Amino acid sequence: MYRTAAKRLLCGARYYYNGNVGLRFRPPQIFIPSSRFSTSETQPLPIPHATDRTIPVVVTTETENPNSSDSSASSSPSSSSTADDATKPRAKYEDQHTRVLQASLSYVLKLGWTEAALVAGARDVGLSPSIVGSFPRKEAALVEYFMDGCLQRLADKIDSDESLQNLTPSDCISKLIRFRLEMQAPYISTWPQALSIQAQPVNVPTSFKQRAVLVDEIWHAAGDNASDIDWYAKRTILGGIYSTTEIYMLTDTSPDFRDTWAFLDARVKDAFDLKKTIQEAQYLAEAVSTGLGNSFQGFVGKVFQR
Amino acid sequence: MALGTVTRRLGNKLLPALSPSPRLLHSHATSFGFKQVNEEEKARMVGDVFTSVASSYDLMNDLMSAGLHRLWKDRLVSKLNPFPGMKHLDVAGGTGDVAFRILENIHKVKLRGLRGAFQDTLEAETQIYVCDINPKMLNVGKQRASEKGFGEDGSLVWVEGNAESLSFQNDSMDGYTIAFGIRNVTHIEKVLSEAHRVLKPGGRFLCLELSHVGIPIFKDLYDYYSFSVIPYMGELVAGDRQSYQYLVESIRRFPSQEKFASMIADAGFQKVEYENLVGGVVAIHSGLKI
Repeated sequence: MYRTAAKRLLCGARYYYNGNVGLRFRPPQIFIPSSRFSTSETQPLPIPHATDRTIPVVVTTETENPNSSDSSASSSPSSSSTADDATKPRAKYEDQHTRVLQASLSYVLKLGWTEAALVAGARDVGLSPSIVGSFPRKEAALVEYFMDGCLQRLADKIDSDESLQNLTPSDCISKLIRFRLEMQAPYISTWPQALSIQAQPVNVPTSFKQRAVLVDEIWHAAGDNASDIDWYAKRTILGGIYSTTEIYMLTDTSPDFRDTWAFLDARVKDAFDLKKTIQEAQYLAEAVSTGLGNSFQGFVGKVFQR
Repeated sequence: MALGTVTRRLGNKLLPALSPSPRLLHSHATSFGFKQVNEEEKARMVGDVFTSVASSYDLMNDLMSAGLHRLWKDRLVSKLNPFPGMKHLDVAGGTGDVAFRILENIHKVKLRGLRGAFQDTLEAETQIYVCDINPKMLNVGKQRASEKGFGEDGSLVWVEGNAESLSFQNDSMDGYTIAFGIRNVTHIEKVLSEAHRVLKPGGRFLCLELSHVGIPIFKDLYDYYSFSVIPYMGELVAGDRQSYQYLVESIRRFPSQEKFASMIADAGFQKVEYENLVGGVVAIHSGLKI
């Protein structure tokens, strides 16, 4: 067993001096010894370069204020500017915006994610419905306010729940995604409308950013603080799991969304098994490249040894 | 040919009757275009301007702005976001252009089937008050309302009044618009504080006004168009060169976009923003009362 590991290290060292081939396989070499003896299925592995190149996603951790004061697009040539307000008065109208959005959420089941819900909410807090006109993107502001609220509750749970630290990363991720999607359960009947609002071109940047922050938060909670080359791959995969589970949930009629949680657990398990598959593929690639560097009989000899 | 094409894109708008802008905050002297006169004379002189142009007001608007003023007013109303049951005040809106657009927009809202939210407000009647200091402009508006079919609606209420001392109660209006009118008042600050007074909490103030062009070359072309073409056009079409000379001069005396925005904020409005149209020929300022 140790002799095999030593041989692999020597092979790696040899190819290190062989330009491209060395560069191509040098990263895998670093992890092979430890993964060889580790029983954990969650050992992080680098993704082959070919895979990396297909994920040119730039993700930031900033959260945009849903009460952004950006102007809407104009049919005439236009430029926009916001007059400087003192900090205190500005906070006051943002407080009123928040109150209207909070009150509007109670009308979402009845009226949907619409201006009508915002108007009803404004009336509840005693303001003129005209204030709805001052939300730059109106119903999108309502959806984004809800998403930001859910993210905040998830972050609070991560901070307060001690049992998360004792879980394996896959269990932790499954639990957090489930917790997050359960927040949408009360609005599941109108959530398709919210998804369509977020998919509008003018709203995509904000909704994408919110989901990116959410995925990043979950990975941090699972203990992954690395910023290495597979950072993008991890977040893309988790974002895909979250989105597919969210869509699956829309048509789930089982009690308490039992089928959705089973679906989620299976997808997370698949994702962690995917790493294992990549690991095995690397072994095979290494074996082939080793064979190319030796005589035919040497290759056959290695095969027989196994 | 090139100049003709460029000038066609330049926009200008004529204005309902109100006094000219103040030169000094607390001075009794004020400006009528580039001339200095006392306050009483200003109000009378501005009144004369709009009395003489009332009948050809719309025609000259179309000619001076190549029809762009219609788009500007559409933009103003879309920013306002009208809703059924709203109480709205349109100041200096004598011929009713903005008020008609608001009513049409509200009718569209009803047709879009937002009935669920406004079920309880359908009983509450929509009220659009059109306030102007010049009775001849109001008469033109009433006549146009009849022609458009709004005459029997009951939603339009025509009120003769001064923007500096409105006859409406405190906290009674959902929206306040003033299009091409605030440049003619004697005290802009008074108009702004009156607007703040009559609006409900959550109500919005919107102002559409000819403003200042900041783009260098465009500014020169705009100046040429303003001081050479428009007065000549006024003389040719409306037979009144003096009124349109006043128009272009008063544009230059009006505060810049940033300064006017700070004046709106000083009156108590929040979330004060402005949007330039056609490079600053026209600006839409908006503010929110909390």
